[in-house]
Amino acid sequence: MTSSSVPSRKVLSKIASNRLQKEVMEWQTNPPAGFKYKVNDSLQRWIIEVTGAPGTLYTGETYQLQVDFPEHYPMEAPQVIFIPPAPLHPHIYSNGHICLDILYDSWSPAMTVSSVCISILSMLSSSPAKERPADNDRYVRNCRNGRSPKETRWWFHDDKV
Amino acid sequence: MDGASAAAASSGCDYDESQPQKEIPTLVDASSAPSTSNTNPSPESSIVPSLEEECYTSGFNDDSMQGIEKQLAPFVGSKEPLSALAAEFKSGSPIMQEKIKLLGEKYTALRRTRGDGNCFFRSFMFSYLEHILVTQDSREKDRVMFEIERCRLDLLTLGYTEFTYEDFFNTFTELLENCIPGTEASLSLTDLLGKACDQMISNCAVMFLRFVTSAALQKRAEFFEPFVIGPSHKSVVEFCKLSVEPMGEESEHVHIIALCEALGVPIRVVYLNARSSGDPENPNAPNHHDFFPYDQNNGSDSPDAANVSTDLSKQEKPALQENPAPFVTLLYRPGHYDILYPM
Repeated sequence: MTSSSVPSRKVLSKIASNRLQKEVMEWQTNPPAGFKYKVNDSLQRWIIEVTGAPGTLYTGETYQLQVDFPEHYPMEAPQVIFIPPAPLHPHIYSNGHICLDILYDSWSPAMTVSSVCISILSMLSSSPAKERPADNDRYVRNCRNGRSPKETRWWFHDDKV
Repeated sequence: MDGASAAAASSGCDYDESQPQKEIPTLVDASSAPSTSNTNPSPESSIVPSLEEECYTSGFNDDSMQGIEKQLAPFVGSKEPLSALAAEFKSGSPIMQEKIKLLGEKYTALRRTRGDGNCFFRSFMFSYLEHILVTQDSREKDRVMFEIERCRLDLLTLGYTEFTYEDFFNTFTELLENCIPGTEASLSLTDLLGKACDQMISNCAVMFLRFVTSAALQKRAEFFEPFVIGPSHKSVVEFCKLSVEPMGEESEHVHIIALCEALGVPIRVVYLNARSSGDPENPNAPNHHDFFPYDQNNGSDSPDAANVSTDLSKQEKPALQENPAPFVTLLYRPGHYDILYPM
């Protein structure tokens, strides 16, 4: 049985690694405001620091995003999670999983790491309250084997937060 | 979503053993009390969202039977005689059987595509490329290349980052170029089928078509707006983001109109369903609808940016009213497109 905790470490396809090299270059020349890419030697896993936007509930707080790219990126979505401690947010679970449609069903190759980051920050910025999703404990318990959020059948219903 | 799950299936996603033990489904609870707190301990059991704040449903994606079937079907199948379709429906409704019989008077064969939500685009892709390969119509190839370059510029103008689409464009144009010998690597029909069944190449070509469709929709957003705005989409842009650009999102009429317009390629869709044709003489004759790029459909009474670059093609096209039958012919059964071959 394959463990879902470790995202598939298959080598990136040629298209994926070409694309990621372009994304790195784009990020370097035009990084999204509020994000810092922590340089490491892996093209396949990016660690990105997010700083809460001024004037929001998360002002000045910093969090870390872990972005793992599958073999067939960008045809398949990257796996994006917060490295715990994750921000308190009605759509972010304490294990770092994020309920955001573009990371799952609505992902498309037209998106980039940068555009995903901007969506996540905008989700944080529009949060009405610092609280966990109501079903946090049950969800996290069911993920205890380190399941990838990409295996969750998400249901998106709230376009306000 | 189909595309994503198909992809997950192919990368060996397991779903059963790692699942928390299944409990008896309490579907009734979930569906009859959709807005109450969900006390059901098994996320596996509810397929309906049951809580306002709850973000996920039904536990985890599993590629059950459906997924397995999808994996078995090739992206694009071999050409089959129309009798294969008759065999499939031999225990179906008499109307369907009659319709298939009548279909056989005009069409000889079909080629199935995988039902993964990309079937319209994949059918179009193969049908178009096969036409170029078989007819060696280099004028048509040149014409469409011209349109493709225009689509690239449209995407740039619409604000897309070039590297998000260039690989997909290049995949398609390479296939197209290789359909006409004289280029480095010309393809046989078998080669083309092989490419269309290669996951990477095939999906990249589908993605190319999704990009050009999206660009065509956004370019004429005012025209398309009334067709796409509804409870699930607030704007043409949102429709493109949610229902055109993601792999696996199924196509509706509006996708067909936009793709036809983007590339200037007419498309015939033959409908096979249990409904009557509305023709009293021939109630079971299968309907078809021809999609023509709009500037050819109705004269040039609505000049638009999209017309400008088709001057070249206009010179080559016969006058209006004499539109030839489109060479891309698709068979539509509710929920699915395959490729159809006329006599």
